[in-house]
Amino acid sequence: MILSPQKLTLEQWDGHWDLLARQGLLRPEHCGPLSRHVSDGDTRLLALRFDNSPAALQLWNLLLTEQDRLWQWKEGGKRLVGTMKDLGTVPVMAYSLDDLVAFYPDGAWWTPCVMEMNQQLLQIADSLGIDESFCPVRAMLGAFVNRNHFPIPDLLICSVGATCDDFSAIAQRLNGLGFPILWWEIPHRRPPEPWEEAVQIGNGLVAPASLVSLVRNELDRVRSALSALAGTDLDDLKLQAAISRANQVRSLLASLNRLAFTATLSPLPALEVLIAQMLAIHFCSDLGKTVDVLRALLAQAKQRVDAGLGYGRPDDVRIFWVNPPADIKVMNLVEDYGGRICGTDFMFTHALDPIDLDLPPMDALARIALADPMVGPVCDRARRIAAEIQRFGCEAVVVCRIPGASHCATEGSLIAQYLRQTCELPVVEVEVPSLVDTTVHVFENRIKALIETAKARRRG
Amino acid sequence: MIYAGIDAGSRAIKVVVIKDGQIVAKGQAEQGIEQGRLAGELFDSVLQEAGIDRPQVRYIVATGYGRNAVSIADTCVTEITCQSLGVSRLVPQARTIIDIGGQDSKLIRLDLAGRVQDFAMNDRCAAGTGRFLEVVAHRLSVPIARLGEAAHDCKTPAPISSMCVVFAETEIIGLLAAGRPAGQIVAGVQRAIASRILAMAGRELQAPVVFTGGVAMIKGMDQALQTACNKPVEICPLPQFSCALGAAIMAQRIFEQEGGVPW
Repeated sequence: MILSPQKLTLEQWDGHWDLLARQGLLRPEHCGPLSRHVSDGDTRLLALRFDNSPAALQLWNLLLTEQDRLWQWKEGGKRLVGTMKDLGTVPVMAYSLDDLVAFYPDGAWWTPCVMEMNQQLLQIADSLGIDESFCPVRAMLGAFVNRNHFPIPDLLICSVGATCDDFSAIAQRLNGLGFPILWWEIPHRRPPEPWEEAVQIGNGLVAPASLVSLVRNELDRVRSALSALAGTDLDDLKLQAAISRANQVRSLLASLNRLAFTATLSPLPALEVLIAQMLAIHFCSDLGKTVDVLRALLAQAKQRVDAGLGYGRPDDVRIFWVNPPADIKVMNLVEDYGGRICGTDFMFTHALDPIDLDLPPMDALARIALADPMVGPVCDRARRIAAEIQRFGCEAVVVCRIPGASHCATEGSLIAQYLRQTCELPVVEVEVPSLVDTTVHVFENRIKALIETAKARRRG
Repeated sequence: MIYAGIDAGSRAIKVVVIKDGQIVAKGQAEQGIEQGRLAGELFDSVLQEAGIDRPQVRYIVATGYGRNAVSIADTCVTEITCQSLGVSRLVPQARTIIDIGGQDSKLIRLDLAGRVQDFAMNDRCAAGTGRFLEVVAHRLSVPIARLGEAAHDCKTPAPISSMCVVFAETEIIGLLAAGRPAGQIVAGVQRAIASRILAMAGRELQAPVVFTGGVAMIKGMDQALQTACNKPVEICPLPQFSCALGAAIMAQRIFEQEGGVPW
């Protein structure tokens, strides 16, 4: 049975859940109704609207039960690895070993949004000298200090070097608070000089062999630390197997994105597509469940596309979205205003690219880490975005700024300027705080003006 | 056919009524708490003065920051679209619009056909808006309408370094205490606003540059912008009404070309 796509409030989802359960359409993997997460403090859910499919229910439940899962893993004897800053390389290595579970403490940056500031995480960061002039990822400090959001990991690994200044400062503060960190260096990616050996690192990028070698050596240190933590050797065979599974996630996401961005009507709301993409970073602490969730979402999306069902109207303006929003509610709002997200760069696009299985695994991982759009020149990232804009036929661009985030301040305007010139599209920059409610009129005005501008251009 | 545009701005409400594409009536009133009621009253009084019955107005578009409160409008359209339509009607050759209002400022780039190519908005900080001038007027005890006269022919604007109106006010107090003439302070503030606008532009402005919005009526602001962008800056005719005019033009388009169905 294909459910007609409909966005439901949390309250509506409760009634819908009862109906689906009575009709026998829910299986154990779909888990319980979403509203139970509100009692855990996830009050922002009350302001969102969700896709009505069991697959979306499964996605949200996977996301919102991560904390419980981490405690269960810990109690079950697994060793937890906090993989910070790096988006998509070290988690693949950690998941090569059965006794390790990787998670992403930086994910706490969304906690002030999801829990509507009621955990005071930003205030704790303030008290530690990391104030609002830093990225909201400073909420992670609060999560480490109040110990309410995840178990303290057995090993903390953080990339540093060509990573964002905010995060490096925050991670150093964390280190200073008594949380030891294994640092590994990711150098600034640059094109090879004429006399240097050049290496293809993926997605059309080329880097000097010496840089790839440096990253590989750094990742070797990480490999040793993970082996020591697990008490077993992290060999190439295990790495290869984990890379295959990571590639499975990436391939499912690529198919999902393609459907969501190219179908006449979007088969899934932008909010669910955003959440699904986030699974690529660390698999929400369960690689197997991540694959199951993405398979179910993809099957749901295909069913809807085949049946000609979807969200919005065919003439909704096709928007490319740059950078993740601090308040996920805006993904609902963009669609309410007549926009449709048809392409995204949430700062971790390299985590969506397949890892080369024909290379020795450590080389392949070093190359994909170096292909991170955030560690190279901003023009590389802008070019990739421009290519995606063309691929998905986008008509307008939103460059989302995260308050206090150094990357947004420096890169956002440059990317916007590049896209205006090369794609000749209207581009709007908009700052989205952790809770958009008090500035929603600003957001609305800019997005609606962007949509009107794109529509006027269609008319010629 | 008669159409109307209502621009519910942060400081004033403006109404423009057009017939056969020409302005036949216009009026403005102070903005207040009951935005919907105030807009309705102004609309009725403008129609009454022009001898137009309400049913004769076929379609009404509201724009501006308070547009959603204007219940008498058939639909709402953003200021970006309306301002570009209004200015393009009044100055057809315009390629760049600088719109400085009481609460925000906008920079709109137009193509040769007068369509919006791109835009930038400052609506989070008062330092590039008319609010900055209001603060100065209050501090200097000069009516805002006469603020420009104070700065007339000033050759040595006072340096205002703050990018924040609150801190700039402190600087102004310091400048006054140091005996700087009011004219130099006003000219300094105008220069600070202009530089803020230019920062928003991000790259070179395409001429002709047209300046509109309520702040365009303050003497000397056009000169400050001209100096900052090193290009001639033309003040739009009827600068306080150009956005409402655009809304009226939009009303006509929606009714006649889109069958009354908004975009």
